[in-house]
Amino acid sequence: MTELLLIFISTLLINNFVLSYFLGICPFLGVSGKIESAIGMGLAVTFVMTLATSISWLIYHLILVKFNLLFLQYVIFILVIASLVQMVEMFIRKFSSGLYQALGIYLPLITTNCAILGAALFMVSRNYSFLESVVFGFSGGLGFSLVLLVMAGIRQELEDADVPRVFKGVPLTLITAGLLALIFMGFSGLFSSI
Amino acid sequence: MITTAIITLGVAGFIFSLTLALLSKRLKVEEDPRALKVIEILPGLNCGACGFSGCRAFAEAVVREGQIFNGCLPGGDELNQQISAVIGVTACLQSKSQVVVCRCGAEASEKKVATDYQGLLTCRAAQITGGALDCLYGCLAFGDCLKVCPVSALSLENKKIRVDFSKCIACGKCIQACPRNLFELVPWSKVNDLYWVACNNTEKALKVKKVCSRGCISCTICAKVSESPYYIKNNLSYLDYTKLSSETPLEAAKTKCPTKCIFSAKNPKGA
Repeated sequence: MTELLLIFISTLLINNFVLSYFLGICPFLGVSGKIESAIGMGLAVTFVMTLATSISWLIYHLILVKFNLLFLQYVIFILVIASLVQMVEMFIRKFSSGLYQALGIYLPLITTNCAILGAALFMVSRNYSFLESVVFGFSGGLGFSLVLLVMAGIRQELEDADVPRVFKGVPLTLITAGLLALIFMGFSGLFSSI
Repeated sequence: MITTAIITLGVAGFIFSLTLALLSKRLKVEEDPRALKVIEILPGLNCGACGFSGCRAFAEAVVREGQIFNGCLPGGDELNQQISAVIGVTACLQSKSQVVVCRCGAEASEKKVATDYQGLLTCRAAQITGGALDCLYGCLAFGDCLKVCPVSALSLENKKIRVDFSKCIACGKCIQACPRNLFELVPWSKVNDLYWVACNNTEKALKVKKVCSRGCISCTICAKVSESPYYIKNNLSYLDYTKLSSETPLEAAKTKCPTKCIFSAKNPKGA
């Protein structure tokens, strides 16, 4: 249990996918303009990541390891992720066309979100058990959502702020992202102090 | 080994595609066939001149609201009539009433450049670093606006922007792209040819003279022609488009301008 909690906290905050591994930067910068779309994107990524890690774990351990086909892991993982994203897209389109409009091109782009493939590959290289993988995927997605939400909140405030023209838009967003990453580095002392 | 690999991938792919196929049947979203029809006849430029994010969004809004809003600018009256026929309303049509003009009319020989600019060859970069042009208001001529124009109405001739008024759809993308805000949407009336002041330099005459031989020196000659629609503000001549009538002495003011920075074009689109 402690092991699972450790994985959860460390993936959520300390080894955050976006701000520590710098994976999934594209949607992080692209969809963090508005809080509503950030929440939607976060939920979609969390869903895909959790399912992708669990299904990938099953396929990896039950099929790939058994038949000695480890070299296929990249292809299979991408296949799993792409299908899941298609599925999520269909669901969102059916049940929330507003969110579908807001997410736009970034929804199909979850397919190439390296955070998700990263999660699947990390799970393999760290030899996680099935339960650990699920928790890992879930907390990874949650960490992504958290960062996205924080960023969206900050950016919405910055919209109204009076900033020098040179910094307006992308430069300020990148600086904000950098500062956020620095802040999250502070979490790395979390466990030694306990 | 190869066989197992092929079989594994094949089976996995088959299972996934089967799931997706079943799901896509179950989760099919009914699309309004009229919207599809509208999308089909739209030009597909995604220019955004209609006020929506693209042709698709426009078509969906048209069908949903049952009105065509301001219509499709590039499509013109004919296309808007077709669209309104599809959704079954008679549209109140407005013909294209605006075009964009560039407020810098200086050619390469007229603009002075004291330094050798070595930076990035985009207007936006040159605007930040400076040095590409002595005039702080004039066209930098790297063509940022050319790249965003969805209908290729802009061209660069001798470092001067030329607008093809018959192509311009007044979508305003160039206005946002120009770091020096040189583009201006102007109305074209049915009675006059199109006139505009091709200078944006608000410095005093002496400073303007130093950087450009074409610039407006705010001599007020254009404003002094009787019943002139021109007026001087911030050391720069402006044309009041609300005052135009068929008798407005536009041409008289243009010929009197000592630096020849008032430009004109034949009535665009020949209406």
